[in-house]
Amino acid sequence: MLAHFAAGMTIGLVGLGATLGMAWIAAKAVEGMARQPEATANIRLTMIIAIAFVESIALYALLVSFLLLAK
Amino acid sequence: MEPGAEVRHIFWPLKIFNFDISITSSVVVIWLAALAVFLIAFLATRRLSLIPGRLQNIFEVIYEFLDSQTRDLFGDQSRLWLPFIVTLFCFVLVANLCGLLPEVYPINANINTTATLALFVFFVYHWAGIREKGIFNYLKSLLPQGIPIFIMPLMAVVEILAHLARPFSLAIRLFSNMTAGHMVGLTLISFIFMVKNIWFSALPVTGKVLISMFEVFVAFIQAYVFAYLASLYIGLAIKEEH
Repeated sequence: MLAHFAAGMTIGLVGLGATLGMAWIAAKAVEGMARQPEATANIRLTMIIAIAFVESIALYALLVSFLLLAK
Repeated sequence: MEPGAEVRHIFWPLKIFNFDISITSSVVVIWLAALAVFLIAFLATRRLSLIPGRLQNIFEVIYEFLDSQTRDLFGDQSRLWLPFIVTLFCFVLVANLCGLLPEVYPINANINTTATLALFVFFVYHWAGIREKGIFNYLKSLLPQGIPIFIMPLMAVVEILAHLARPFSLAIRLFSNMTAGHMVGLTLISFIFMVKNIWFSALPVTGKVLISMFEVFVAFIQAYVFAYLASLYIGLAIKEEH
């Protein structure tokens, strides 16, 4: 029971943090693209990679919550 | 439990000195992926022409893209290290895409495969640094310069931990990305068996199709991230001191 609660809290809290991080990355990227439209391709690539990094942290949490569920 | 465990199959049980090196479906898929990369690369570069054919064009795009991304890191050693990075990229990409095929064991959703790749990168970038600077200078360059001597032991511990974290994060990143994709697909399909309604089942199937499309995208991104981080580590190891 407690492990299930912990699993839910893990993915919930990390989801909150990771979403905020991704949103910030996207917002800053859009800002940069609006300011310098000629750098759009570069900014988009960097944004996708940065988002992949943040996403992998969210997936660590998913892994941990699966491990907690399997307990 | 890992996804795809039920399709794991031991083709040839093998044991040497208590080490289990059985030929499982995972090993077979790794061999097939490596063979596929080799064959495609061989066919693409067999007859190089100034006006590239279709296969050669694909490889030129990959090579030039990775070259443009890693030129700052490698500098004049680009010709030495870029083939390694491109090979790594192609293998991880083909392995990721193989995992999306039905009935094929998703080898990158197995921590053993990704940990092997990450350890390989770990040893290669240390070797690159030692090759470039010599072992003593390389070990010295691992520590930040110009700090008081009494902080040195603490910094050494921190640096060793940071270096050990690199292969760990490489392995876990690739593994968890691939596993999560398969887990989401499995969860979606399991909704069909929970609800048991033929009209409802259109929803999970649509979701699974969309997730699979997203997984193709993720396969490319993760292969690129893996290759880029490997080149970043090599680039940091061979970087000149300022």
